[in-house]
Amino acid sequence: MITVEGLTRTYGAFTAVDDVSFVCQPGRVTGFLGPNGAGKTTAMRMMVGLTAPTRGRATIGGHRYADIPNPGRHVGVLLDASAQHAGRTGREVLTIGAKTMGLPASRVDEMLALVSLSDAESKRRLRNYSLGMRQRLGIAHALLGDPEVLILDEPANGLDPAGIRWMRGLLRGYAERGGTVLLSSHLLHEVEQIADELILIGRGKIVAQGDRETLLADAGPASSLVTALDNDALAAALRAQGIQVSASGTGLRVAASPETVGRTALDARVVLTDLRTGQAGLEDLFLELTADTQREGHPAAATQQGASA
Amino acid sequence: MSTPDLTATAPPRTIDISGTARVPFTRLVAVEWRKMLDTRGGFWLMAITGLLLAGTIALVLLVVALADDARVSANDLSQILSIPLSVLLPVFPILVVTSEWSQRTGLVTFSLEPHRLRVLLAKLSAVVLLALATMVLAVVLGAITNPVGAAIGGYDVRWNLEAGTLVMTVISQLLYFLMAFGLAMLMLSTPAAIAVFYVVAIMLPFMVYSILYAVFDWAQSLIPWIDLSFAFTPFLDGFDGVDGLDVARLLVAVAIWIVAPMVLGARRVLTSEPK
Repeated sequence: MITVEGLTRTYGAFTAVDDVSFVCQPGRVTGFLGPNGAGKTTAMRMMVGLTAPTRGRATIGGHRYADIPNPGRHVGVLLDASAQHAGRTGREVLTIGAKTMGLPASRVDEMLALVSLSDAESKRRLRNYSLGMRQRLGIAHALLGDPEVLILDEPANGLDPAGIRWMRGLLRGYAERGGTVLLSSHLLHEVEQIADELILIGRGKIVAQGDRETLLADAGPASSLVTALDNDALAAALRAQGIQVSASGTGLRVAASPETVGRTALDARVVLTDLRTGQAGLEDLFLELTADTQREGHPAAATQQGASA
Repeated sequence: MSTPDLTATAPPRTIDISGTARVPFTRLVAVEWRKMLDTRGGFWLMAITGLLLAGTIALVLLVVALADDARVSANDLSQILSIPLSVLLPVFPILVVTSEWSQRTGLVTFSLEPHRLRVLLAKLSAVVLLALATMVLAVVLGAITNPVGAAIGGYDVRWNLEAGTLVMTVISQLLYFLMAFGLAMLMLSTPAAIAVFYVVAIMLPFMVYSILYAVFDWAQSLIPWIDLSFAFTPFLDGFDGVDGLDVARLLVAVAIWIVAPMVLGARRVLTSEPK
């Protein structure tokens, strides 16, 4: 379990992390989501004692990181997969970690196999590794000590789609065995399928947190996109209930949940060919919540025409 | 997900750490020793130092063989063989510190051992062990070279190396290692630390101070206070004729080039953010 309470870090007049509080529960994957420079990395660095907080505290399993003896055995950390000596081989990097933690050499082979780095690849120097291979090695390093908690900064960065799927399975299995996972990303689609909980951060502040459903429930009023064989008849039946209807493409946009629209269609004996939620997706929510913290102007169209999530 | 109550006391202990021992210091030293030698840079530094040692010995034997009246003693050899050791080896105490920043491995090192002072002490221990190990190697090579040289040159072998002289040679070498280590912590940059070290430790004393010392009176009274090699010279042949002034000069030079960089540098490492 990771507990973050009022964590704040300022650099002069700049506040990188601003009063951030959250809890990562065991058995759950928590996604830490925010645009570049939102303070994700600084927050994670404070959790493992690399950066001293200006205010607040972070504890892991109830302990300050510095108070955990041999922390590699309890907390797996991957802050930057490229932060390794370019002249060492992948195997050597893991061997150094295993020796520090007091693990047998066989653990290195187990981890290499787990992240699918071949024997030949493990003997190459890191300067010849692709970013994806470095990420795999970094994940292997984080898992070396069989920790209860994983803290991973942008672990999917550089992985190909198959690699992301592999990582998703790996972290899901890890959480199901009772592990606590906190992983960050600036790309929603990387985390939304892995994470049980999401923490959205922008400009150092948490702008939303909760599980997927909770976040989506707060994402705006109910809305559906529906297409029927007889759109006019459906529109009339909906308006008769006082529900707002407007034309949208080949169908209708309705200010009601898909369930309400379905029942209305059933009662009116109108055949539906398409019915889905017209609510803003997580991506829209993400962009909206971090809009004032984005570097680029937020395209207005994205909030109006909800892409189906 | 719940928002934690900030008024509550310590969060619940959900991870049991009672069964985990901290990383033993000897293991940290062993790891730092390995990290010193497991890169290409480390390998070549050792290889070239080995070649320099071999080349120096070959040169000594060549001179002994060719020049009629050339003779070397154990004492001469200890002076000669400490030169190849002092050329490249001080790069190790620099790299062992700065590579954590330049290669950004500090992120991993300091998350596996958050008590950075322990990491620094482990690095220092590994570096001192390296200095001692190479000195032992040089002594062994010298002990072989001495009778071989005598046989080639046709003179009686002389074992005139006093234990005190040997100890002072070792201490001198260690002082330069400590200076390199301190400068590395202070600068946290490989090129800067190497440049400053070689200018201060080798270029200035040999190319500037030696000339000033020979020409100017003020230089003779100033330089032994600010340069380690000049300050250490009276101690090299044991303690005969060493007076309080010599001790004071050595202490000042050590304070400038070893104590100050060590203290300020350690502070910098302990408080900086490895990025």
